[in-house]
Parts: sequence; C-alpha cells; structure tokens
Amino acid sequence: MKKRLIYISLLASSLLMGCGNKLDIKPVNDIDASTALTTSGDIEALLVGAYDSMGDGDVLGGNIQRDAELIADNGELSFVGTFTAPREIFRKKLLRDDQQAEDTWFDTYRTINIANNVLANTGVVTAAKKSKVEGEAKFIRGLMYFELIRVYAKTFLDGNPLSNPGVPLVLVPTKQVDGSSFVGRNSVQEVYAQIIKDLTDAEKLLPVSNGFFATKNAAAAILSRVYLMSGDYANARDAADRVIASKVYSLVPGFQDEFNTASNTSEDIFAMQVTAQDGVNSLVTFFASSDKGGRGDIIIEDKHLALYDANDTRNFFYVDGDRFTGKWADPFANVKIARLSEMYLTRAEANFRLGTKVGASPVDDINVVRLRAGVLPASSVTLQSILKERRLELAFEGHWIHDIKRTKTTIIKGTDSYPFNAPNLIFPIPLREINTNNKLVQNEGY
Amino acid sequence: MRKILLLSFLFIISMGASVMAQDRRVTGKVTSSSDGSPLPGVSITLKGSTRGTQTDAIGQYSILVPSSESVLTFSFVGFKTESVVVGVKNKLNISLEDDSQSLNEVVVVGYGTVQKSSLTGNIAKVSSKDIQNVPVNSIEQSIQGKAAGVFIEAGNGKLGQGIKMRIRGSSSVTAGNQPLYVVDGIPIITDSQSNTSSPTNPLADINFNDVESVEVLKDASAAAIYGARASNGVVLITTKQGKVGKTNFELNYYTGISNATGHRDWLNTAEYVELFKEARANAGLSLSGGESRFTRYAVGERERWENPASPKYTSTNWEDQVLVQGDVKQLDLNVRGGNDKTIFYASGGYNKTNGILIKNSFERISGRLNLEHKATEKISLGVNFSLAKTTNNRLSNDNAFSTPMQIVALAPLSPVIDPRTGIPTDTYDGANVTQYYNPLINVDYSSNVTTVYRSIGNVFGKYKILDGLSFRTEYGYDLLIQNEETYYGTETKRNNSTSPNGVGDNRFVQIFNYNTNNFFNYNKTFAEKHAVDATLGMSYQESKRDVTYVEGKAFPSSSYKQIIAAAQKTDGTSEETAFAFLSYFARVNYKLDNRYLLSLSGRVDGSSRFGANSRYGFFPAASAGWVVSEENFMKDQHTLSFLKLRASYGLTGNAEIQNFKSAALFSGDAGYAGVPGQRPSQIANPDLKWETTAQADLGIEFGLLKDRISGEIDVYSKNTTDLLLNVNVPGTTGFKTQLRNTGKLENKGFEFVLNTRNIVGAFNWTTSFNIATNKNKITDLQGQVISGSFLSRAVEGQSIGVFYGPEYAGVDPKNGDALYYKNTEVKDANGNVTGRDRSTTNDINDASYVVIGNPNPKWIGGITNTMNYKGIDLSFSFQGVFGNDIYNGGGKFMSANGDYWDNQTKDQLTRWRKPGDITNVPQARFDSQNGTAESSRYVSDGSYVRLKNVTIGYTLPASIIKKLNLSKVRIYATGQNVFTFTKYKGWDPEVNSDAYSTNVTQGIDFYSAPQAKTFILGVNIGF
Repeated sequence: MKKRLIYISLLASSLLMGCGNKLDIKPVNDIDASTALTTSGDIEALLVGAYDSMGDGDVLGGNIQRDAELIADNGELSFVGTFTAPREIFRKKLLRDDQQAEDTWFDTYRTINIANNVLANTGVVTAAKKSKVEGEAKFIRGLMYFELIRVYAKTFLDGNPLSNPGVPLVLVPTKQVDGSSFVGRNSVQEVYAQIIKDLTDAEKLLPVSNGFFATKNAAAAILSRVYLMSGDYANARDAADRVIASKVYSLVPGFQDEFNTASNTSEDIFAMQVTAQDGVNSLVTFFASSDKGGRGDIIIEDKHLALYDANDTRNFFYVDGDRFTGKWADPFANVKIARLSEMYLTRAEANFRLGTKVGASPVDDINVVRLRAGVLPASSVTLQSILKERRLELAFEGHWIHDIKRTKTTIIKGTDSYPFNAPNLIFPIPLREINTNNKLVQNEGY
Repeated sequence: MRKILLLSFLFIISMGASVMAQDRRVTGKVTSSSDGSPLPGVSITLKGSTRGTQTDAIGQYSILVPSSESVLTFSFVGFKTESVVVGVKNKLNISLEDDSQSLNEVVVVGYGTVQKSSLTGNIAKVSSKDIQNVPVNSIEQSIQGKAAGVFIEAGNGKLGQGIKMRIRGSSSVTAGNQPLYVVDGIPIITDSQSNTSSPTNPLADINFNDVESVEVLKDASAAAIYGARASNGVVLITTKQGKVGKTNFELNYYTGISNATGHRDWLNTAEYVELFKEARANAGLSLSGGESRFTRYAVGERERWENPASPKYTSTNWEDQVLVQGDVKQLDLNVRGGNDKTIFYASGGYNKTNGILIKNSFERISGRLNLEHKATEKISLGVNFSLAKTTNNRLSNDNAFSTPMQIVALAPLSPVIDPRTGIPTDTYDGANVTQYYNPLINVDYSSNVTTVYRSIGNVFGKYKILDGLSFRTEYGYDLLIQNEETYYGTETKRNNSTSPNGVGDNRFVQIFNYNTNNFFNYNKTFAEKHAVDATLGMSYQESKRDVTYVEGKAFPSSSYKQIIAAAQKTDGTSEETAFAFLSYFARVNYKLDNRYLLSLSGRVDGSSRFGANSRYGFFPAASAGWVVSEENFMKDQHTLSFLKLRASYGLTGNAEIQNFKSAALFSGDAGYAGVPGQRPSQIANPDLKWETTAQADLGIEFGLLKDRISGEIDVYSKNTTDLLLNVNVPGTTGFKTQLRNTGKLENKGFEFVLNTRNIVGAFNWTTSFNIATNKNKITDLQGQVISGSFLSRAVEGQSIGVFYGPEYAGVDPKNGDALYYKNTEVKDANGNVTGRDRSTTNDINDASYVVIGNPNPKWIGGITNTMNYKGIDLSFSFQGVFGNDIYNGGGKFMSANGDYWDNQTKDQLTRWRKPGDITNVPQARFDSQNGTAESSRYVSDGSYVRLKNVTIGYTLPASIIKKLNLSKVRIYATGQNVFTFTKYKGWDPEVNSDAYSTNVTQGIDFYSAPQAKTFILGVNIGF
C-alpha cells in the first residue's frame, strides 16, 4: 500500500513538472532581426523591400502625386469621393489630424529607414554589387526626402530656406527607440543639401541599365527636378540634358500609348511597378471610374478641357457617368514617376530662363513634345507657353502644385485665391507626430 | 426497438446492482413543499452505497434498502437536499423544500467546486434554466443582463458575429479586454478567425442547451487561480453531466420569426430633390448639374423624379429592401442517465437561423457525449466530447459599400430593379446609375460562406489516493477548422473594380489548442470544525494556428466559383503561429466552525509571449469571509437568516497580446514586382511582460426572512499597472508604435444583487435584480493620446475610448453656418486654467478638442421576474444600459444637410433655410462640409432599457402526460428583444460597429444593423 502510494505520487509529480523549455516558441512567419542581415543576398532583399515600401499607395504608389493635383486645383477637377482626407486636401482645408498627412509622413519615413538599413550594411554586399546597392539606396532616400520636403515645408523659393523649418533628417537605421529617436526639423536648406548629395552620389554609383530599378539616369532626372524646384536652373538644365543626351530613352510615338502600360516603355526613366500580385496604382484608384478599376473619385471639369487644342492627343479623357482622365485607367499599369518628355520641358525652361541653348534651343525641345502630342510646332516660345506645355504634358502626374509653388503662381478657385506660399497649401506635421515628439514645430496655420 | 434497448439497459443495471437477500423495497412519492405538486426526476441515493434511483413522471420512486437504519438522500435542482432514515415503514413520502436561490448551491471555481455559502470570492452564476432555448446564436447573448457587473454587447444584428463582454470594465488599452473562457477545464479559442474586420465568434460553435452552468469569476480571489490571463475575469462553462437513475430523454423544439428592432426614416424622392436643389444653389452650383444627376439615378428617366403623376414616379425606401423578416428553428434531443458505475449525457442539436439582414444565415449542428465511469472505488475516469459544424452566410463589414445597411445611402429616385436590365439597379452594364454600389447586387451575385468544424473535448482520470486526498489528471483539446469561401461574380465589378471577371478566395484556418491539468485535491474536516480544501497542481497549454489562403481572379462564368477555375491565381499565403503557457497553481481554503473562512491562492505562469527577461509571473490572492449568521449571538433572531462579510485582494495578469511581440523581427513580405524582398517589421522589447491588475473586493451576502430575500453587495477597485500599451514612437524612426509595459488605469465599481421570493405557494413569484456601476479611468499613459477611429481616444484622466473632439454649438441663425464652441482654455494671471472660452466659431480648426462623450455605460442592470401557477410559468427580463454615448460615424454622410449625394435622414428637413431660423441642422450646402466634420453633432445618448425576454409556458398536468407515456410536456412562447425604450435615434442603441471596434474605439454606429426582435413557439418533451 505504502509503496503504491509512493509510485502514484511520483507519477503524479512527474506530470506536474518538466515542460519549461516548451515556452521557447520561435516565430516562423517572420524571422529574428539577428539573422536577417547576414549575407549579400539579405541586403539586396532588404533593398527590394525599400522599393516595395516606396511603391505603397500612400507614397509613390500614387497618393503623393494625387495630392499634388488635388491641393493645386483651381476648378479643373472635382473630388467626389467619400474619403475624408483627400477631400480635405482638395478643399485646401486640412485638419491637423488629416489621415493622409499622417500616412504619407509615416510611410515615407518607413521607406527611409529601410534605405538607411541598407546603407548601414553595405559592408556585407559582394564587391560587384556594392556600388549599385549603395546607389539605389541613396536614390530612394534622396527621392523620399524630396517628396517630404515639398509636402511638409515651405517651398525652397519662399523666404529663407536656411531658416525655414524642413523635415527631420534621419540618416541611420533605427535599432531601438531612445532619446536619439526624438529629432527636430532640419532647415529646408539642409534637407535640400542632403537630397542633392544622395542623388548626386546615386548618379555616380548607379549603372545605366538596371531593369526597372533605379538607374544613373533616374537619379539625374530626379536631380533635375530638385534643382528646378530650388531655382538652380543651370544644374536643372544640365541634369536634364545628361538624361536626354544619354539616348537611352525615346518618346513613345503616340502620346496615349505611353500610359496604362504593364511594364516600362522606352520613355519611362523611372516608374513604380504594379502586378496583379503586388503593388498598387493608387492614381487609378482615385482617377479612374469603376469600369477602369477605380473608385471614380476625381472627375475632370470642363475648365480643364478648355486648355487643349482641338487635335491635341493629350486631350485624353473618357466618360463613364462623369469624365475621367485616360492616363490612369488600368489598375495593374505601372505608376510613371519620371518620363523623358519632362526632361525636354525642364531643359527648355531652364535654357529659356538662362538664355542658353544647352543640348537644344527651348523652342526645339518644346516642339519635340508638341509634335508627339499631335499639335503644330510652335515658332517661338515664352516662359508662359513653356509652362503651359508642361501643364498639358504632365497633367495628373503629380507636378501641378510644385510647378505652381516654384513659379510663384496664385491659385484662383471660384472666389477664393491662394498665393503660392499660402499656409494651407502645405500639409500639417501630423498631429500624432507633434503629440509624440515635442521637438517638432508645427507648420503655420495648424 | 427503443423499448427493447431500454429494457436491456435496465436489465444490465439491475444485474449490476448487487441485490442482497435481506434488502427490502421502499416506495413513496416526492412532492414540492410549496404547492404539493409531484416532482419527477428527483435523485434518490442510498447513503454509503452507490445505489440510486429517480422519481418518475408523477413523483413516485421505488428502491431497495438493506436495513431500517439506511439513510436515503433526496436531491433535486432547485430544492433543498433531504436525508431521511428509512425506519420500519415501507412507504416513505417526502416533501422537498423549495430552494431555488439557495446559498447552499454549489458553485464551480477553477479546479474545483465550492459551496456558495463558503465562497470568499465574487462569482456570478447563471444556470441552465436561464439560458436554455433563448433564441440567440451564442451563449454570451443568452446571459445578457443576468450577471451583475458583466457588460455584454452584440455589435450589430449580423448572425454569428463577435460579442463584446467586459467584466468590471476594461482593464487594458492595447491588450485584450475579453475574459478567458474555460469549458470543462479547457481554455478555449474565442478570438475572431475572420479574414475581414467583420468578426466571427468561436463561441457560437457551442450549443448552449448542453450547458449546466456559467460561472463568471469577477474578483481576484476567484480569478487569480487563472493567473496571467485572469485580469478580464474568467467565464467557466460547465456542460451537463449524467445522472444516476432512469434514463431521461428530453426533446426541445422551437420555431419563430424575427424582425429588426428599429428603423430609421429617410427622405423620399420629393424631399430629396428639394434638398439637393437647395444645397447646390446654396453652394453656387448649377441646377442642371443637379438635375442630370437626378436623372442618372432615376435610370435615365426624368419623370421618375420629376413627375409624381407619372406611373414611373419612384420613391424607393431602400432600407426595407435589406431589413427582412428572419426565421429561426432549433431542435435538440438529449439523453441523461446512468447507474452507480457509469453516468452519461448525450445530445444532438440543430439550429437554423435566417437573419433580419438579407442573405445572412447561421446553421449549427452539434453533438455531445459526456461520460464518467467509476472503475474501482478509487479510480474513476471519463470523457467529455463535443463536435459541431456551423455554417454562416456572412456579410461584408459595416464599412463596405456592399454591406446591406449601406443601401440607405442610395437616392430614393432609383428603382430597385432597373427596367432596362430586369436585375438590381446598378448591376454592372458599363455606366454607373446609383451613387454607390448597390448592395442588393451581392445578394444574387456573390457568396460569403464560412464553415467551422469545432470539437472541444477532454479525457480525465481521478484517483483517490487516501481518504480526502485525490489526484486528477485531464487532457483537453479544442480543435477549430474553419473554411471561408467568398466569391464575387462579374456583376459585382463596380465593387471589385480590379477584378472585372470575378474574384474568389478560399481560406483555411486550423487551430489545435491542447491543455493538460494535473492536480491534487485534499479535502478533510478535522475535529468537526476545521475544514480544509487544498489544491496543488500544474497546467500546460499550447496552441498552434495555421492559415492558408488563396485568391483567384477571372472566372469563365459565374457558374464557376472555385479557384481551380480562376485564370489568375492572384494571391496566396500560408502562415503559422503558436503560443504556450506553463503554469503551477496552489490554493488552500480553510473554514473554521462553518463561520470563519480563509482562502489563499497563487499561480506561477510562464508564457512564450513574454520577453526573455521576464517570462514568469506570480499571481497571488487572499480572501477571508465571516459568516456572521452562524455566530451564537445571531441564533436568537429570525429576521436575518444569513449574513456573510467577505474581502479579497489579489493580483491577476493580462497576456492577451499577439505572439512574438517581444522580438526584433524582419518580415519577408516585402517583394516588389516579383523580386523577393524583406523589411524590418518590429523593434525588440526583451522586457515585455504581462500587465498586472491588483483588485480589492469587499462584499456582503445576506438573507432575510428565511432567505425569502437574499442578496449581495460588492464594492471593488481594480488597478492595472504595467499596461501593455502600443506606445506611439516618432514616425521618423520608421515605426509607428512599440508594445511596452507602460501606463496605468483603474476600474472602480459597485454591484448589487437582490433575489426575492415575493409569493410562495401555489402561486409562486420570484424576482432577481442586479445593477452595477463601473467607473473606468486611465491614470497614466505617459502623456500620450491614443487615437481610435473617428473621435475615439484614450487620454489620461478619462475613461477609455471617450469621444474627444470639437464641440458642436448648433447653427448660426443669421447665416446657417455650423458653429463650434472654441473651448480654448482660459487662464488667470498665474497661468492656472480657470475655464474655457464658450464663444463660438464657424472654423472647426479653431475649436479645441474636449471630451464630448463616453461610450462606457455608467450603470448596467437587469431584472427577471418568474411566476408559476399550477402548470403555467411566466418570466420576463428587462436589461438596461445607462449613461453611455454613441458616435454615429455615418452621420457625416447620412445626416449632413445635403453635403453629398447620400440620402439623408428625415431630421435634415429641419435644416436652416432663412435668417432667423433656429435649428440644429445647418444650411444645406453641397460639397461644402457645413457642419459635417467629426464633432459632438454626431454624439447621442445610448441609454436603453430592453424587455429582453418574455416567456410564457404551460406544462401539461401529470395525469395527461402519463397517459401519453411521457414525463413532461411543456409548450411555451418566447419573445426576445421585445421592446426597447431609448432616446437614441439610430436603428438600435446596442451597437458597436464591426468595422470600428477596438479597445479604444467603442460605441460607434456605422451603418450597423439593428438587433433581431424574435418571437418563437416551442415545446419541451421529456420521456
């Protein structure tokens, strides 16, 4: 009896004990950070992750470009959707807690953090790929800061960029959140300097040919945009000229054939890729009718149509209940970020402003664009005519508000007018960021 | 055939019972002392043996007893147990005293049971009679309003959806706030397994007619034995077990209909046209633009909206198209019986409910077998096993154009059926007709079916080591296999615009959750005064979840719905996750002289979810009770029949967070255009641990006038520290939040329960009443404001989820502008805030954010009256929720004074139209956001009282049913959600939108469907 009792107690006790190591359950969907960045392949995959993040709908998947069109509107389009955030942007009455202001900020910095992770680990990358990987990461970082500075800060040509607050510059990857994670805003000038440095490095490091990833010319194209925005016309002209002179790209013969393409065309210098499995073309989501895979939220008004000549093939619209642009009408088409025609327009404008003819004369460059669009060549150009050409060629591609700001144009919408430096043409620093990080100063008017 | 089976069964039983030569037969009748009616089904056992029987349909029994000194024990649910020495007579009639609210009832606690009178913790018990045959889908809904301090809320009227339960308030901001559910010792799966934000409810897989009792462990003393997961309370569900005696069959059937509890009024065509003409004119927009829009909605036929005399004139009430009459039927059969060695309970159930929302249905087929066998005097073993299949035709979440209730946004100008196509208006034909997708298209051209196979079971063995000392081992599992299949045909293209040729997906979830409990129990009374009940044991739980998913697009035709026919396989995934808990627990209950009670418990919990630096936590609790009425000085008075004071204090934890939240992680889901990619996805926090709630509870239990009046009063204070909180980090880091243990909150409350037997006798009337208040307050979030959707926020100094935003000040009578109070803080010379600037502004950016509402109820309660007279029974329950606010998230669309094309609620007719108008609805201005920004304009009081359940039944007299060879026949009618008394203008004040439901975002109405008002007729037959 006693013995049996002991056996039973032992058996019972053994059931009570001994499963301690069973608590060490490892994740399988994700992997531990310590094992994620050990080989060259790991870093290259991380770099791909940065493109993926940059292609997010709230970044260059389309919302940044959409908002550049909505906030610039002067009655040429209408936002008729139910989403509150783009509606506030369209009405130029953003609330402090506008969701898009928060999402663009966060998703862009998320992309920057991935690029910073790549740049901090290029030591692991094989020698043959090292400069390409570094160049791509710098391209992405430079491009992201350029988007941020244009959305959240005074434009470069407004007041003093040395003292105007820009956005915080974060150039190292986040390993943990500590005091150093709470950063203030660098000046507009500092941010532009970093953008130019990153893109200049990228142009040096990148190869001419790199599939749909960033190339030497992609860096030059964005650089020309950065210089144009900062009023540095000589550098803008030269960067645009380098792209044209490389002869890597050519205009697609029919203007309308340039759009709604699954892969990059001969004209595409850089584009975000969208497939049925992955990526999003958020411009289609908002600019296309449901028949073309969108929400039908942004309709084109008669005022815009009046800008085109009769046989201008850029008069590219369709009607599905309302009128929509034909540029964004396939949800799986890539999102054009930089096209060759922009380079002609930039070179023309810069040459015109400087009175130079680097590469070609302004009128010749403008006529390259006009001829392709099916309109008669111009015999002469003015700054006004160059800018109008730019408006027609690049409509709904995310340039409008930036061209307005750098040319110091006043937006007249109905009875309201908004000077180029009106505070409500700048997004608020997201309320959530202001509440989280007391080093951040809010923009005027919020 | 059945008779033969029964006979052979009885034969085996009688063979098994050892009939001794000197045994003699005692017969008699058992009746109720209150009305003298015979009691069928009373258990009669011979003390000191395993012999037993039951009374038959007319209360008669017959049993063999060995001697005159033999003692027979008569027991029956709801009556006091009686033990009688047989004596010399062969006939023994017994009258049992009614004890429906007895303090002697047994209450299930973790790893054991306790007599209610000896309990030192706070446990609310709901027994089977309260939950049986309630026409709802899941068990939580059946106990709504019946347990004090337990707030239960169905988010909307969709079937099989998640239900919110808060026991004594919310104890967390980021981690889970739902209680731990334990069925027969197994912690079960309760999280939604849905692929969308429209949740599924794994509790709906349980046939609650199989449930014997539900115990809600509320205070730390009761719950701490469940350690790191007990902060939100624990719900113990115990299923029915077999009974010694005659095998009883019980058949329950009911059938009925249901309708929506509420409707809203919408503008008709004339009102709509007038409003939008006015709105466009006020915004300086063209009349023609508006008229062409009207004509578009009116399927291109102008007379439909313009000419009331035309036969084509259309004014559609869209709401009526989707709120339909539902129906329900339920059938279940259970068999209960056993002999001295083996007892069993077996059941089968079927429920089919068609909801009040078009194309929403729920079906459950379930079976259960509970068996217990005494192998020897020392060893007993058993098995509880259940299997269920549920099939749910589900709907999109509240924030989808395709969800039925969003149909109310469509203009009344459109006909339901487009005469040009003969199918629902706006079914894709190239050009959009209605403003938004017509949800009726989903009815015919989509499917969304979720099928769940669920098995919960355990096997257990019990060994009696010594007198009073036993060891129990059990192994339980909960297996959930769910398949969600959706298909959207080409006709739904407008809503699935990137899938013009149809899209379908198929997702499998498999969860295997197993658990083993092994514990010793020691139960002994020394010197007739020291009663000790001690438990020592361990438990280990492991749960692994696998998900696979595939999506395909482009189907040859709508006849093909499986992904095999999809030309493009566009998405697919497989995922796996797991967690484990290893726990050791101990408890000692000590009782001196039946009047001084002491209980100590402790649990050590380790979990894979916590960081490497703090994997194990210790959760102790202590409680004491004093049964004052047992004292000698109380013996001489008769007013106070029972009085107990009790107090408890203890620590519990909350570990309801996602798995692996402490690790630094990279995710491989960052591929780009077919090239694989990875990304950093989480920053490490190796110090992550459970959050801790310290709870103190003081309680009084009393009985007056021989327990004719009894009740409980409790006050408690719950302080949660080390909150598991998603702390906002600067977005410039590339991360949004990090889960940390930071912050504090508290819940303080009061609960009162009163049970009275108002009239006792042939006419019996009892009342049970409960009311509770809870005050939740976040005391520390390190200065953060945690944003939910709309204006829902977690802010320091306020209750969780308060609505925090601009305060609406009505309409400027001069110009119809919406106004807001500035509410800027006014400071005195020393910088102290002395008040707020109550002047108004029409610029909402000038209005400070203030607390404008609180979704947490101040008071909740319920009252149930039960009456019996002869064979007639009547019961009715009211349930009430008071002092909570609702935010109408759809308000900016549906009550927006013609801001956009959505049809408007009728109250928009009172809009401002000319200077001097005094109204709360601003001037109609198309697309101008006049008063439509989120503000207190869309906050309303959500208090309500509901006649939750009324049942009237009639039990046929024994004389009749005996002729039918039956033991019981009762027919009844029940109404559920019969009347709702509320000032809320929406569909239903019991609302928590499935699209916007988190810890912080609560009380949101967003096109949320009303609840079902159900009337059923049913029958219970025993034989």
